[in-house]
Amino acid sequence: MGGAVSDSAHREMWEKLDLDLNAHDALLGVLGKFYGDIYLSQENRLQGAEYLDFVLSEIHGLRIKELQEAKAEGRKVVGSFCVFVPEEITLALDAIHVGLCAGAEAGSDLAEQLIPRNTCALIKSFIGFKLAKLCPFLESSDMIVGETTCDGKKKAYEAFNELVPTYIMEVPQTKSKAAHTLWKSEVLRYMAELEKVTGRTITPEKLKKGIRTANAKRRALQRLTTLRAASPAPISGRDALLINQISFYDEPVRFTAKINELCDELENRVESNEGIAPENAPRLMLSGCPMAVPNWKLPYVIESSGAVIVGEESCIGTRNTRDLVDESGETVEDMIDAIVDRYMKIDCACFTPNDDRLENVTALAKDIKADGVIHYSLLFCQPYLHEALKVDKALQAEGIPMLSIETDYSMEDVEQLKTRIEAFVETLE
Amino acid sequence: MDIKHFINFSELSISDLHTWKEEGGKVAGVYCIYAPIELIRAAGVAQVSLCGKKQAPIKEAERDLPASLCPLIKSSYGYALNGTCPFFTASDILIAETTCDGKKKMYELMGKLKPLHLMHLPHTQQGTAPFEYWMMSLRELEDFLFECSKVKVSAEGLHNQIVLQNKIRNELYQIAILAANEKSPLTARDMLAIQESKSFAVFPDKYLARLTALRTSLATFLKQPNLPASQSLRILMTGCPVGKGSEKTIRITEELGARVVCMENCSGLKGMTLPVDETGDPHEALARRYLKIPCSCMTPNQSRLESIEEMVSTFKVDAIMDMTWIGCHTYNAESTTLQRFVEKKLKIPFLHIETDYSESDTEQLRTRIEAFIELS
Repeated sequence: MGGAVSDSAHREMWEKLDLDLNAHDALLGVLGKFYGDIYLSQENRLQGAEYLDFVLSEIHGLRIKELQEAKAEGRKVVGSFCVFVPEEITLALDAIHVGLCAGAEAGSDLAEQLIPRNTCALIKSFIGFKLAKLCPFLESSDMIVGETTCDGKKKAYEAFNELVPTYIMEVPQTKSKAAHTLWKSEVLRYMAELEKVTGRTITPEKLKKGIRTANAKRRALQRLTTLRAASPAPISGRDALLINQISFYDEPVRFTAKINELCDELENRVESNEGIAPENAPRLMLSGCPMAVPNWKLPYVIESSGAVIVGEESCIGTRNTRDLVDESGETVEDMIDAIVDRYMKIDCACFTPNDDRLENVTALAKDIKADGVIHYSLLFCQPYLHEALKVDKALQAEGIPMLSIETDYSMEDVEQLKTRIEAFVETLE
Repeated sequence: MDIKHFINFSELSISDLHTWKEEGGKVAGVYCIYAPIELIRAAGVAQVSLCGKKQAPIKEAERDLPASLCPLIKSSYGYALNGTCPFFTASDILIAETTCDGKKKMYELMGKLKPLHLMHLPHTQQGTAPFEYWMMSLRELEDFLFECSKVKVSAEGLHNQIVLQNKIRNELYQIAILAANEKSPLTARDMLAIQESKSFAVFPDKYLARLTALRTSLATFLKQPNLPASQSLRILMTGCPVGKGSEKTIRITEELGARVVCMENCSGLKGMTLPVDETGDPHEALARRYLKIPCSCMTPNQSRLESIEEMVSTFKVDAIMDMTWIGCHTYNAESTTLQRFVEKKLKIPFLHIETDYSESDTEQLRTRIEAFIELS
């Protein structure tokens, strides 16, 4: 993200996207250093990590150039903030589906002029990135899709909509039959809107292909999840998180191929009993809120304490990869139903009740042989803060210890986090 | 003017509740103005508001809930846990709603204490599908009520309740207008009690008669010649709900010599000018009316601004105070939008106060409100 970037080649493009070049340079500089410290310093990394390094170094460069080229050919870009926006439909309309920047503190001061100070860091970040003109994905998007998953986001999109038109999907708060009906109508409304934006029409063939592409990506990530059950852990939690993060940015077919290659390498490692961490390193699972690029603070602190992260139960993790869309549908109607069913399985804390999540967390912790779980809630995220108490009880019942962490993107609490995490890790050894 | 009756209303209503229950009547405890009283009454169930306005039970609630939730949620849950709310004790069933993240997740716990029905609200008032979803939610509530009371809601019964509640809402609104008269002897805390009384009316017909008597006597009082007219600054209060126990902002404002002449929040006049259409299908009319409530849980929530604009003119408001509870994301978020609207469009002063149920910030609030009143 820093030095490796062929800046001059991209500056013109960034300027056209109306980024604040000075602020953007500063951001890339900080991120480059951050990436160097947290990622490049790791020993015994996979060869496949070169792909990750390259994608990340060009995330605001070559990837944006690709988007611009696709746009020049008449394709559209959809930017979203949440795993509820159905990527299958975006792909079926030959549009590009990207996640929008939300993992850094840059611009948060500006955001506080529009939304309350006690809003979570993720929300402040996407508003801040817009106000500070730092996100080339946002500036490349033809359609920006928000969703009503929590109070903070729902109201922040009202403010965001004044900066840039934002299309809102209504996510119901439960999974009843009526909720399925409402969600289906929302999926169809999204499809109709995107047909308008792209000027293209959904066909069964295209939708089938979209479903298969998205499923293939999820299957590759599921494969990664399974391989991480091995002991010693074959890949660091940081790299695995990065893979999940990149899944929201890179071209899906290329990404799937690269991650499958990386998984081949992991298989070899597992066979030869090679690990990234010693076999006796405590194995931790992360659970809770998503960690968007470049929010690597907690994984870094955890893995610096001698533990290794073997799974992420979050939207940038298994919550987004666990369930596939049924591929047997032949008509658009059947496939839409399959999409609706799949998305209604997402165990987001925005649902009430959300007991599936408790089962999923404990099952995953057992599957990946986690010694303990670190529950991560962003400050002010009431749904996950609330569920942290429930997850703790569910894990306790299974004899799995849990540590609940509440933090944001700032570095002020790093020392405090270190102390708490080291103490927790010690109890596991 | 029989203000005392209203000041002591919730205490008096406890004996009414006993009478009701002795006659075999069922009681539903509610927390929110989305609870459709017409439907609940038509199912033969009396409705009361549950406690949640005091600091005392918060500590207990924090054992099960994140400390960063708003005081209203923590207090409500604490009261439910510790058994000190007579209305909670008297309730056979609870009717809850998905108005915010904090409440919706808290209700998962509260549902273990008593039979609780969660009404599912959409997040928006726009479009057919969200409306259908809400209609379905009310149908489910009706089934739940039937299980409790075994009374089937008839179209006629529902219609009669609609007519009655429309009258009650209208009386309350008319009383609020009279009470805001510069010659009115009623204080904001009197009005708080009067407006709060609507949530404890076990016998609505009797309650309506009391309201009518109050309105008539207030109107008669105001017709007297040579009454002194108040010159105080006229403040509209909006934001989160306030009640007996959580009214410190109102108390301080009045101590500083300003007058809160209008409360737009849901413990005040929110929804009072929204009658249920008395023609056509009563179920649908009911659903439409309740979905129109300008709560910050809706996105967008433009009608709250329109409602405030209307109240500013009706109540001759000089300045607006927006009081939100710490931890209430939706009202806190709307404060920014509202401030811009008030300052740019209505061109009157605006003050946002974010506080909780504790008294720890009382002096700080006094200083801020004093400065605000001086500058207004």
